[in-house]
Amino acid sequence: MAHLRETSDKALKLLRTLPRVQIGNLRPNPNSKQNDKRGRAQHGGDKHGAGNKGSGQRQNFMRLGYETGNQPFYLRFPYEPYYKGHHMKRQYPPISLLQLQVLIDTNRIDTSQPIDISTLCNSGLLKLKPAELEYGFQLTDDGLDNFKAKINIEVQHASEAVIAAIEKNGGVIRTAYYDPRSLHMLVNPKKWFQKGVPIPSRMLPPQDAVDYYTNPKNRGYLANPEEISQDRLVLAQKYGYELPKIEKDSAYEMLTTAKDPRQVFYGLEPGWLVNIVDKTITKRKD
Amino acid sequence: MLKNILDKSRQVVFPVARTLTRSSVHGNVVNESPAAVATPAGTKTPLILPQNYGEYAPVSRNTPRQAWIENTDAVQERKVGLIELHPDVFAAQPRVDIIQENVEWQRKYRYVSFAQTKTRAEVRGGGRKPWPQKGMGRARHGSIRSPLFKGGGVVHGPRSPTTHFYMLPFYKRVLGLTSTLSVKLAQDDLHIIENVDIPTKDGQFLKDLIAERNWGPSVLIVDEDHMFPANICQATDELGYVNLMPSFGLNVYSMLKHDTLVLTVAAVKHLEQRLLYQLNRSDAASKGGKFKLDQV
Repeated sequence: MAHLRETSDKALKLLRTLPRVQIGNLRPNPNSKQNDKRGRAQHGGDKHGAGNKGSGQRQNFMRLGYETGNQPFYLRFPYEPYYKGHHMKRQYPPISLLQLQVLIDTNRIDTSQPIDISTLCNSGLLKLKPAELEYGFQLTDDGLDNFKAKINIEVQHASEAVIAAIEKNGGVIRTAYYDPRSLHMLVNPKKWFQKGVPIPSRMLPPQDAVDYYTNPKNRGYLANPEEISQDRLVLAQKYGYELPKIEKDSAYEMLTTAKDPRQVFYGLEPGWLVNIVDKTITKRKD
Repeated sequence: MLKNILDKSRQVVFPVARTLTRSSVHGNVVNESPAAVATPAGTKTPLILPQNYGEYAPVSRNTPRQAWIENTDAVQERKVGLIELHPDVFAAQPRVDIIQENVEWQRKYRYVSFAQTKTRAEVRGGGRKPWPQKGMGRARHGSIRSPLFKGGGVVHGPRSPTTHFYMLPFYKRVLGLTSTLSVKLAQDDLHIIENVDIPTKDGQFLKDLIAERNWGPSVLIVDEDHMFPANICQATDELGYVNLMPSFGLNVYSMLKHDTLVLTVAAVKHLEQRLLYQLNRSDAASKGGKFKLDQV
């Protein structure tokens, strides 16, 4: 941005010596307008650059992958196991610790509240598309050394180093599974609340994700809390830092806030109805 | 008059006279205060309006912009105070190309072309074959209204109504406003007044004021409120080249249409608040979508 600042100042100084900018002396940038007329004769006339006869002139190009009579590459090998089921695989778009720190430093994320998919999407810089099989965010370790925030964050995938970086600062991290419908609600809560439908409960993870989310090493939301606190100490010893005591932290309440495995939004239970027009919540009777 | 021309030429020779850097301004204010900011006894003390960068920090703090606040209660110019302008709005990159795009858009989006020509079907007559296909020694024709005929239909002619409506991307419109305001300030065509309360409804007062201060000839006066006081309304009514506009209606075309732009302090604050909000909003990406009719 530095060069922009300098150029703007230079340009404004230059403008002081130039004639007044008026409607009459403005013109578009050179070559920014496309001429909608076809040139004649020597100005690109004759065949207008399309050549004589054939696919060049008629613009009927070969279909993708076609190799003019050869067995096409995509049919040459009968079996590609590494693509098996790729259309069903869950995607976890990455966000790095550096990105997260920048979002916090630029006030796009409030660290006094627990952070989940909604918080990240509401920052306006991150996008999640559940329809394209994106099942949440994974937190990657770029910018690990510069991560300084104390946060309570819930992501869908995180590596051991990332977990250590967050717990070293006195923060809490949890990995949790959300089914596509819950993700759809979390990505744009306001839009979903406008439907005026009671909040459904979150689904449990599919078979192949159960192992990950019940593992205390991944800080899975279905793992035994005692095993998690045990593993926090183990990780601190492994990475060689002193684990800050969150029990004595002033933000203890916030740091220990966690969603129920069936809960989608913080503070809202399944079955409740949020009326966004009247700003009221209708709760279940039982 | 001669003094005015001298003043103006001095500004050209010493271009830093109006828009000063922060450090030099403080020096100048101290030096010039006895003469330039001298106020008659009994009136308010000079007004200094600093910029509060708390909410929206500028991209660069090295390019602050300051401007004098002028009086409107007399023809004679008197500096009532000093206002610090936000650099993101009044010292933005002067994108002249985007200003041009805004002007073109403002001309086109409301323009409907009513040019109309008749096709061969719409021209009266021509249903009968003019002469037999063969045996006449003449070229074959099926209608006297064919485009080949004099008085025949027109091929690919203009059809009415043709709209030229399109929307310029939202942030090009925002950038158009900041660029134009910056250009106007840089070229000494932006003046700031304390309010629009002029003492008389006589148009001659405004004429004298504009001549005295080397404004214009055409002047656009902008206030935050859309209800202007009666005096200035009547005074500008007969002057076609002095126009009034509320700040919510400020646009690139009108700013360039007039030589001088005159903003009240309230209008400056309103414009800054609105433009800085748009430049800093976190859901800016949502404004980048396709234009939809009747959108909220």
